[in-house]
Amino acid sequence: MSEEHHIPPSYSIKRWLFSTNHKDIGSLYIVTSLYFLFVGGALALLVRVQLTVPNNNFIASSAFNQAFTTHGLIMVLWFLSPFAFGFANWIVPLQIGARDLAFPRINALSYWLYLFSGILLLMSSAAGLPDGGWTLYAPLTTLRFTPNLGLSLAAGGLILFIVSITVSSVNFITTILKMRAPGMKLMQMPMFTWTILLTVFMMLYAFPSLLAGTIMLMGDRTLGTMYFGSPQGGSLLWDHLFWFFGHPEVYVVLFPAMGAIGDIIPTFTRRPLYGRKYIIMSFIIVALLSFGVWGHHMFVTGYDPLVAKIFTVTTIAISLPFDIIVIAMIESLVKGKVRLKTPMLFVLGSIALFIVGGITGVFLGSVALDYALRGTYFVVAHFHYVMVGGGVVALFGAFYYWYPKITGKMYDEGLGKAHFVLSVIGFTLLYFPMFMNYEMPRRVVTFTETQWAFTNYLSTIGGFVFGLAQILMLYNFYESSKTGAPAGSNPWNGFTLEWAVPSPPPQNDFDVTPRFSEDGTISLPGLGAFANGGTHTMSTAHAEHGIMESHLSQWPVALAGAAFTLILGILGVTLLPTASFIEGMLYLWILLTGFILGGLGLYGFAKEKFVSFEDEEAEGWPFKHVARVRMGVWVFLASEVILFGTFIGAYIFIRAGTLDWPAINTVFQIQHGAINTFILLTSSFTAVMALVYSKRESKAGVIGSLLLTIFLGLWFLYNKATEWQELFHEGHTFDSGVVMSTYYITTGAHGAHVIGGLAAMTILIGGALKGRHMGEHGSENIHNFGLYWHIVDIIWIFLFPLFYLI
Amino acid sequence: MVSSTSEIFQPLFDLFVWLGILVGVVVIAIFLIVIFKYRDRGSKTPEPEDTPILGKVPEERGHPRSVVISLALSIVILTFLLNGTFAVIDTLNTPPSGTLNVQVNGFQWGWKFVYPNNYEDTVLRVPKDETVILKIVSNDVAHSFGVLEYKTKMDALPGRTNTIWFIPKDTGEYNIVCFEFCGVGHAYMKTKLIVMDPAEFQDWYSKVKPAEAEHPVQGASRP
Repeated sequence: MSEEHHIPPSYSIKRWLFSTNHKDIGSLYIVTSLYFLFVGGALALLVRVQLTVPNNNFIASSAFNQAFTTHGLIMVLWFLSPFAFGFANWIVPLQIGARDLAFPRINALSYWLYLFSGILLLMSSAAGLPDGGWTLYAPLTTLRFTPNLGLSLAAGGLILFIVSITVSSVNFITTILKMRAPGMKLMQMPMFTWTILLTVFMMLYAFPSLLAGTIMLMGDRTLGTMYFGSPQGGSLLWDHLFWFFGHPEVYVVLFPAMGAIGDIIPTFTRRPLYGRKYIIMSFIIVALLSFGVWGHHMFVTGYDPLVAKIFTVTTIAISLPFDIIVIAMIESLVKGKVRLKTPMLFVLGSIALFIVGGITGVFLGSVALDYALRGTYFVVAHFHYVMVGGGVVALFGAFYYWYPKITGKMYDEGLGKAHFVLSVIGFTLLYFPMFMNYEMPRRVVTFTETQWAFTNYLSTIGGFVFGLAQILMLYNFYESSKTGAPAGSNPWNGFTLEWAVPSPPPQNDFDVTPRFSEDGTISLPGLGAFANGGTHTMSTAHAEHGIMESHLSQWPVALAGAAFTLILGILGVTLLPTASFIEGMLYLWILLTGFILGGLGLYGFAKEKFVSFEDEEAEGWPFKHVARVRMGVWVFLASEVILFGTFIGAYIFIRAGTLDWPAINTVFQIQHGAINTFILLTSSFTAVMALVYSKRESKAGVIGSLLLTIFLGLWFLYNKATEWQELFHEGHTFDSGVVMSTYYITTGAHGAHVIGGLAAMTILIGGALKGRHMGEHGSENIHNFGLYWHIVDIIWIFLFPLFYLI
Repeated sequence: MVSSTSEIFQPLFDLFVWLGILVGVVVIAIFLIVIFKYRDRGSKTPEPEDTPILGKVPEERGHPRSVVISLALSIVILTFLLNGTFAVIDTLNTPPSGTLNVQVNGFQWGWKFVYPNNYEDTVLRVPKDETVILKIVSNDVAHSFGVLEYKTKMDALPGRTNTIWFIPKDTGEYNIVCFEFCGVGHAYMKTKLIVMDPAEFQDWYSKVKPAEAEHPVQGASRP
């Protein structure tokens, strides 16, 4: 497909299915996330209607629980981040002068995985939407207490979603660190790009914890492992795994919004951001500290009082960098020329709401107050002020800000302002009364107490005002896309690079690569520096320089579809014991389809000649001499380390609470582990051999070494299978308790990584047979595979002593 | 004040509320004044000299002074709050001795209270002015035992025993509520805390025996 030079028009289905262009993917993200916003919003209104008056019987308890659970999951995961990343897709490459993301097909894959993960979540409605709260607290979510298939489907969707987030994070990190316009320093990046960089780092290291937790939960639900059904693991283990992810996640949804604020304020005050350096430093501190505050979500779980005090200090301390950010943003307005256009109104409103959200967050950081406030509507009010007030409201501002760039049309300013006023009124009516309900338990289907009646009544009215106001925004954007006045390339007199290209930007974004000089002047070679005030913008007339191929690929959507089918198939297989013959055949057929589609997808993906933009001069400090793919592999492997770190952490947590852990050499035979350690270490050596041969351009050497590595990998898996079989034979099955749970899930996840390595080597051998992967440059792929393989080996070096030696 | 715990909570909460309102009102007021004062009034407002323009990275500006001042102010306020927190948290964590010990079992969907003499009940009766220590466990999923008016709660988790304590300061009936979502009956997982006059309590307690539960223990019916 890539031989076509022109992209299909925007009304073509093919364009939207196969496009890998960052702007198309961005639009897909925005539209899909808005759909989820309205689904999540409708569910919230169901909740509000039920709570309008005491003793209401509008919906039953089970429906209510599904509504608030799915509302939370959708809003936090399927709406907020994807909405922000719609803009990140659109704007980040433009802001750094890149022509696309580092891995455009992977970017398309991220989107399609996201869409399919959302479909899985919504499909669960057929079997009952998840109803255990968005925090999925165990053991309520185990099969014993929530037997319906809906939660398993949703958990499958969650796994797909996390895969999407992970590959997307790798993509953005590589793009921002490796593909900046020549000369662009990190400190010269616009605020939005800065916060996206920090966001994807947080995502990359927070989500593996949730992934590991969800895999354990799925293991518990489908295989009968006992991570969360046992007292050694149980509630506390899930709490730790969930909140280690969950608190950084708050900043994951907040940062892109604050970054947009950081770009919108200077544009609309006509002055540079005040204390930009301090703001960036504060963001970095928050991103780091965000991994050390999760315990404040668990103050009344009865863990060690000293640890609770430490978490109190870290949690209250994290308000300090936010203090710097907010004060600097307010100070940015001083002596400016504050233009109160719709984007700016939303941004200012968002800051005010975030101040309230931040102050009330300090309350919840205090372990002493938490004895009273935990689990009440005070918490609900607080996090909605932060995530809706600080996050969504600012992102709406970003939507108005970049809408002219994306569509080339101006929105209706009057409707925009009406949307703002109604949103603020609705928001306040909706959430402020919840602070006053600081005694009322959350997640209750109804209440009898009359002292909560009036505040709940107000909240419901506010909910409808806030919800209806959003329809105004949709109407405005829809109408304006057809009838809006042409926006021109820079309607706001913005200063960041996205305003230097036409609206909407041409397919290739920049006709010539922008260059940053030492003093911060940006020039366009051949077109000269920007004329005073940046009225000079590029035209499409220079298209011959930057002409690009259509960059369509059918493989991302195929691969995502395969992953979706595989998850359905696997869930189907777990139902086999109770399924009829026809049903069983159907499930197996789905599973088989998934495998075939996945194999074809991988093959097509690997085989396709896809040339992404590579600018030799691009700024990549501090990784200038690291190839782009290598960079991506490094970043990805770091998240793998967190994933297995989480499995090992869960093992340690459970082992610390298990008194009768089997003695050495009783259940797990040392010789099994020792032989496999030896095999894997040898395979690391043969993987290095493959690299050496590839640099020497010895085709036979490369293929021989890779075949040897595959053989060793297969031998490792064979030994593992034999060992599992023996253990099963001795009665140590998946459901024989926590020891076997940690063993099977941890070594199983490791084995899956070995299988992934075997698949990668098969593809490499296919290329080597055709003479590829040779020489200094060609050996890159073998080198990158080697890094992965070594990490898989190193993880085993940790697992071996944990299970066999101590 | 109805209990030792609400006596501890209220002053600390008030401190947070008043300092929070003070900070919030001051900051948002300054914010609004700044917006109003520097709003764009067309030609009446001159274009600032350092206006960021396309094609040039904006100059860095900002003095560390303002950062230091706002940080210092925040640290002073937060230190107050941390001190307040630490002053009471040790009290909450160290129950005094010589008291009434009751085991609390949370289950889907109700509470069971087991007294030292093995008497079981679904309402919690305690004497006024005496330290009550609750050992909280769960039989199934995670719950959270809370007394609404007492401003205290503690998770009831399977496989763990968590402890809270309080001294009732007034007789009467109070509301025991589950504060952790635990399934379809969560909203109905309620019962009463009945605080009795000490003599009355002794009288009642000496008459109950393990066998004769006042109310048979069972889950609240599914709504």
